[in-house]
Amino acid sequence: MNTEIVFLFLQQGIASGLVTGSVYALLALALVIVFRTTDVANFAEGEFYMAAAYLAFFLIALVGLPIWAAAPAMVVGIAVAAGLFQRVVLRRVAAARGVSVNLVIATLGLSYVLKGFVRATGFGDTPRSFPSVVPDGSVTLGQASLSYLDLAILGAALAVMAAFFAVFNLTRTGRAMRAVGMNRRAAQLVGINLGRTERLVWIFAGGISAVAAILIAPKLLMTAEMGGVVTLAFAAAIVGGFASLPGAVVGGFIIGIAENLVGLFVSTRAINVAPFVIIMLVLIFKPQGLFGGRLRVRKV
Amino acid sequence: MADLLELDDICAGYGRIEALSGVSLRVPEGGIVALLGANGAGKTTTLNVVSGIVAPTRGEVRLAGRSLRGLGSDAIVAAGISQVPEGREIFRDMSVHENLVIGAHARRDKAGIARDIEVMTGYFPILAKRFRQMAGTMSGGEQQMLLIARALMARPKLLLLDEPSLGLSPLLVQQIFDIIVRLHRDEKLTLLIVEQNAAVALAVSDYAYILENGEVVAKGPSAVLAADDSLRAAYLGA
Repeated sequence: MNTEIVFLFLQQGIASGLVTGSVYALLALALVIVFRTTDVANFAEGEFYMAAAYLAFFLIALVGLPIWAAAPAMVVGIAVAAGLFQRVVLRRVAAARGVSVNLVIATLGLSYVLKGFVRATGFGDTPRSFPSVVPDGSVTLGQASLSYLDLAILGAALAVMAAFFAVFNLTRTGRAMRAVGMNRRAAQLVGINLGRTERLVWIFAGGISAVAAILIAPKLLMTAEMGGVVTLAFAAAIVGGFASLPGAVVGGFIIGIAENLVGLFVSTRAINVAPFVIIMLVLIFKPQGLFGGRLRVRKV
Repeated sequence: MADLLELDDICAGYGRIEALSGVSLRVPEGGIVALLGANGAGKTTTLNVVSGIVAPTRGEVRLAGRSLRGLGSDAIVAAGISQVPEGREIFRDMSVHENLVIGAHARRDKAGIARDIEVMTGYFPILAKRFRQMAGTMSGGEQQMLLIARALMARPKLLLLDEPSLGLSPLLVQQIFDIIVRLHRDEKLTLLIVEQNAAVALAVSDYAYILENGEVVAKGPSAVLAADDSLRAAYLGA
């Protein structure tokens, strides 16, 4: 392989990696905000994303909504559903037996319910494609080529991240979310309503997952199993330290770029290995994750 | 003087372990009441019941005659009760400034909050010096001062203090209690202080209760309790 091709592959791999990475980053962000504030690893994250894609599909194909109406309606729908899940299921599980493991198992249950629900509609078994609103065409950046859809995905994902970071760091609501993540008891003592704050976090996580789905859906085939992509979001979150929001975003981009570079330089069949190799490298050299800060021993 | 806080026959526990069995106490408006006792006597649980973090299984808590039954911890802060918890329960990764702002979470008056931050840095000048520093990087005494200031940012009528002397040097303990007494006088605060350090707590309070195994075993004016040698030997380890 001569240097010119290496250079070309590098540019294309990084450009395409930023696009897929931005979607992983959104899903990882949704995982991390829930984990930080509620100590729950949300195993239904992938199914939020899957259900969101199908809900958009149903609204467009069956209800006949135009996509500009279906997309926001679907994002709101999934966000509300996530909030209801916290309110109706998690709150009861926590009240009955407030151990984190039980809450995690509840999310696992939700993931099966959502998959079963999509299959029960009869549309979940055959892979479907999702219409794109972005016109065909591409631009060349350096020597890398990206489609308009790619650019729209990256731009929209970055905008959603920026909006969430602003809410999280600059508003009263965001301050309450950070406080609950840092010290639940202290948060209660300053008058923060834990239940409402956790519910809001789930609502944001649902909404962010739904946005990720609508962005990437036109590039993928929809199946009831498409939520498996969440493995990559977990990888991104672990690389970033699992409790760090910037870490989740950077982790998402690292995983996306690594996949694309491995696909170009090694083999497309090796792509699936890339995220796990990265996780191993991170766990060996910086076990707390890239943005995990100092290692802190915690009582469990 | 009317009672600001009343606890009537409070029972509470964690699972099957009963931590309080029938505690009754009164905190008069404008008064300083001390709640003393050994480790595990139920002092912190009492404060957590008042703050709405632990729900009592029996009995009632009233603030200015109004029952707090069924109110969540957020509603109780809004009603005028703030707690200064023990064990440095600060928001470590927030700046001193943000810790103060979040103390006023229940309030919406931006101008008043800004003014109260000035007032707090007046009482605790060290907080002004550390204003932009992450709270977790401060010393134990500074964190204790931040905790008191944070609780006051909610503009409480009643301040609950959980072991403010814990882990501090005698000099710092004296400093903290001087400020507490000044706050009581200048801000017309009513105080309920939980302490293991009986000598300090009895010196500043008007009235005291002694808890043992979740029950009130002695109560009386602080000066009387302080003079009772047998009581001190039996319950206060001094």
